[in-house]
Amino acid sequence: MEMLQQSWDIIVTAILRGGLYALMAVGLSLVFGVMNIANFSHGEFYMIGSYFAFFGITEFKFGPLPSIIFAGLAAFAIGMIVERGVFNPLRQKSKKGWLMNTFLLTLGVSIIMQNGVRMIWGSRYRGVTQFWPGRTKIFTSMEIANDRLVAFIIAMITITLLWYFLTYTRTGRAIRAVSQDETGASLMGIDLNWIHTLTFALSCMLAAIAGASLLSINPAFPTMGVNPLYKSWFVLILVGMGNIWGSIYGGLIVGLLETISIYRFGAGWQDVISLIIIILILLVKPSGLFAKKGVKSVLE
Amino acid sequence: MKRLVTSLGKVFGPLTKLGIRPQIAVLFFALLFVPLFVRDEFTLRLLITSLMFGGLAMAFDFTAGFINIVNFGFAAFMGLGAYSSGLSVLKLGLSPWLGLIFAALLVGIVGFGLGVLTIRLGGIFAACMAWFVALALMAVTANWVDLTKGNSGLSVPPLFVTIRNMPYYYTILAIVILVYILLAVISSSKIGLAFRAIGQDVVAAASSGVFATKYKIINFTISCCLAGLLGGFYAHFVGVLTPQVLHTRNTVEIMVISYVGGRGTIWGGLVAALLLVPAMDYLKGLLELRLIMYGAAMILIMIFYPRGLAGLWTSGADYLKRKGVLPDTSTVSVSKGKTGQNL
Repeated sequence: MEMLQQSWDIIVTAILRGGLYALMAVGLSLVFGVMNIANFSHGEFYMIGSYFAFFGITEFKFGPLPSIIFAGLAAFAIGMIVERGVFNPLRQKSKKGWLMNTFLLTLGVSIIMQNGVRMIWGSRYRGVTQFWPGRTKIFTSMEIANDRLVAFIIAMITITLLWYFLTYTRTGRAIRAVSQDETGASLMGIDLNWIHTLTFALSCMLAAIAGASLLSINPAFPTMGVNPLYKSWFVLILVGMGNIWGSIYGGLIVGLLETISIYRFGAGWQDVISLIIIILILLVKPSGLFAKKGVKSVLE
Repeated sequence: MKRLVTSLGKVFGPLTKLGIRPQIAVLFFALLFVPLFVRDEFTLRLLITSLMFGGLAMAFDFTAGFINIVNFGFAAFMGLGAYSSGLSVLKLGLSPWLGLIFAALLVGIVGFGLGVLTIRLGGIFAACMAWFVALALMAVTANWVDLTKGNSGLSVPPLFVTIRNMPYYYTILAIVILVYILLAVISSSKIGLAFRAIGQDVVAAASSGVFATKYKIINFTISCCLAGLLGGFYAHFVGVLTPQVLHTRNTVEIMVISYVGGRGTIWGGLVAALLLVPAMDYLKGLLELRLIMYGAAMILIMIFYPRGLAGLWTSGADYLKRKGVLPDTSTVSVSKGKTGQNL
């Protein structure tokens, strides 16, 4: 019984942790699939989201949920500006070595955003104690903070909305068409520039929502995006590039790996253990666990 | 002027055949005499750091610019070299000089192993795998406190029993010259041609009989080996090692230097390091703004001038040739005449 209880606790923690990794990874995967950009500034949008949620609560006196939405919209706008200002000019100029060039561009964006935030708002921690006070028990011996639970629910709702948007709306279908065949899509009269801007902005919004809804657990500071960034890359590489829905399972798997290794080996070693396991999986299945046939090749 | 250049061309002719650029030969020659004029220890230290970054950028460019694989864990390989050199001196009682060689060999072996396992993936996958290994290495160094002293830092004995920087300067200069000659000679040889072919189009290279994986592994191993050597030097030069040495931030810095210098040129990274590292130090007072400028410069160069400093130099030289100030030296250029050869 003790054993069962413990493993149940681990699974619950892992799911809560993994849901937000999934939200981050879906955005990353979307940008990779549609724009063929390996985005290493994704964590910075998580950070921006966290900051905006903080200002939403403290400066503008929004409630918790409106602040999270506000953070998402603000990151959407910033994402549009970044796409128009950085990737669009490069796309117009040359598409040679696109993947590697944009990879470096995202690093530049990340440096600018991290230090820009530090310059404007300083490097002190900004957090709120609680969004939704209280704790809940779900068939388990331990209590879970409501904030964690709600953050997970927000992540799941956002992913569902994204799924609806991509599957049933005209614009969503246009995005998927571009990810399958850019030339074909543009022949059908889809405005590629607009779709790229929209996709990038959407992905930024997803990261920002993840950051914003975890504000009470992780306070905002300039370099907070690094950890979520590489967690979402674990997920992306583990499930295979460009597979958006696989990222959800991937997020849960990475969450589980981490929770188990923290539990078994103590904090600090979780990265080592989960990385070793991910590397071993990739050696057996180099294209990822759920790699789809026909998605964009990883070879440039 | 023309005659001077022609006679210089005669001197540098054999060097150029080996792939060594005359301008870099001149640069190295000038660098030999710098300590005679620069008495200031601080400036000398800055020059040592610049040279070290130059060496790292060249080794980085050797994989990124030639076989088109970004080793996103580069700083971790350098850090692994630093730690293995430091620990071999502390625990095994080797002399620091042997430690350097030990570090180079060990990191070379690790690079070889990683290359065998992951390099066939190519592109962004290989970059991410190298990055993951780097993250794991950094977490291990931070957590294996018994061996590495973790975040409190590991003190490493110095190379020389002097507080002066001059001996270090000549050591790193010698190392960088060796690194440059090695990389330049390899990249202008037949093997280098194979590297370029793979970097431009793996499928085309493979279909013309180049065994891509083999060459990629050779390239990756050499690059890692050099990172280990320079890391070993770093350990004994700075004297204190923390896991921060392995941080991705340092990889990004090396990467920016090598890209600003110009991809696939080897020497561009060295020149960029000699300009950028002191410039960054000079602008220290600007705090965050300095790094924002760094990021902006990187973005602007990527979008508007992807050929980097080396491209600037080449265009300048071409312009002078057209004006007739410089003689046309393309007859001694190695790239011609060799392209037709079989591999």
